[in-house]
Amino acid sequence: MEANDDQIVRAVLAGDKDAYGALVVRHSQSVFRAAFRITGDEADADEVVQEAFMRGYQRLESFESRSGFGTWIYRIAINCALNMVNKRKSATTYQIAEDADPTQQQVQIADHTAGPERTLLSREIEALQATAMRGLTATERTAFILRHMEDRSTAEIAAALSIAPNAAKQAVFRAVQKLRRSLAPLRVTP
Amino acid sequence: MNHFNEEELIDYHYGESVSADADSVARHLRECADCARSYAAIERDLAEIAVPATPVRGEDYGQQVWDGIRGSLRAYPAPERRRWFQFAPGSQWKGLAAVAACLLVIAGAFFAGRLWEHRNPQHPVANNAAGDQGREKVVLVVLGDHLDRSERLLVELKHAEPSTEGPIQAEARELLASNRLYRESVKQAGDPTLANALDHLERVLIEVSNEPAGLSQAKLDELQKEMNTDGLLFEVRVLRSRVQDDVEQRENKPAATKGVSI
Ligand SMILES: [Zn+2]
Repeated sequence: MEANDDQIVRAVLAGDKDAYGALVVRHSQSVFRAAFRITGDEADADEVVQEAFMRGYQRLESFESRSGFGTWIYRIAINCALNMVNKRKSATTYQIAEDADPTQQQVQIADHTAGPERTLLSREIEALQATAMRGLTATERTAFILRHMEDRSTAEIAAALSIAPNAAKQAVFRAVQKLRRSLAPLRVTP
Repeated sequence: MNHFNEEELIDYHYGESVSADADSVARHLRECADCARSYAAIERDLAEIAVPATPVRGEDYGQQVWDGIRGSLRAYPAPERRRWFQFAPGSQWKGLAAVAACLLVIAGAFFAGRLWEHRNPQHPVANNAAGDQGREKVVLVVLGDHLDRSERLLVELKHAEPSTEGPIQAEARELLASNRLYRESVKQAGDPTLANALDHLERVLIEVSNEPAGLSQAKLDELQKEMNTDGLLFEVRVLRSRVQDDVEQRENKPAATKGVSI
């Protein structure tokens, strides 16, 4: 018999600290994946995972089982990851304008050709994307990551970012628009 | 004909259409070349936005995370009048006193007392009028000890490499003998949660003991998957902490309920 998350939470709140270990084991991988996607850094993601589970433990009394522990801890982790990104952002100066000049990176689509051109093209796409991603606000970026890579619904994104559903939807839309614009130079047909 | 704008088509792509239901968007895309073209462009762009590969974290990652934070967390205080953690709704925990009483009858105060003295030489339990509660505590200590050893065995089993006859099996055989004793008395005491856990434990111990050629990888997998040793480990942990708390409660208020001091 495998105890479910709610049962474990009750055990922890009744004084069994070690029971929490089962929740950590169960949810660490998915929390890590989301943390990595948002922070883009392995060490930062590991830190976010630890912090999220620590905070989760400390706030466990406020956990209401209707949302499920997995969803709940995921939200906490998204918050920690966003804080981490903002912390890093204020410590680093991005030089977006400098490397975002699309004319410098314009390449022609070598339609359906296999081989080296294709690889070059995907590298160009990646470079443009990376630049465009940095040009998004933290909310837009996170909303997009949750939508596009983590397959989360608007409602879940809104809850994770503590914003209204409509604002979450708008953030995703603005992110997609900006990213599409960044890919536009690649769409020039000869 | 009402066309769909970029935002609506993006919503559709992510399965989040609100302004029109997904079916009508799909129908429109079949009929309208303009929208179909726009939508194809959106799909192509979004398909090209790569999902970065996530670095791999091993199977024991969660355990590592837990090991990293465990030391900084403090246990939640147990409720004052403890209502034991319940595995299934409706299952009633009747109190460890009943278990302890039954164990006393079966195991005998002598055995328990000897063990208690061995563990706590400075605090021998007075074998007198105030000793009932003390003996109950002793039995709980012994039971806690058993659960402790079982927990360690299950943890070792979890991380065990395939091996020929090894210490895990020897330990399992030792535990098996005492486990039968506890299971019987716990059943008599009417504690289904503990009895079920000890029953489950016994089945695992039998499996581990009865492998003359040692534990193969297949056997270890079978134990984990079919006998749910992870679930059992959790049960044993919960029970162990329950027993421990009860022992502590008795230590804190040795005989206060009777108004007698030792
Ligand atoms: Zn149309």
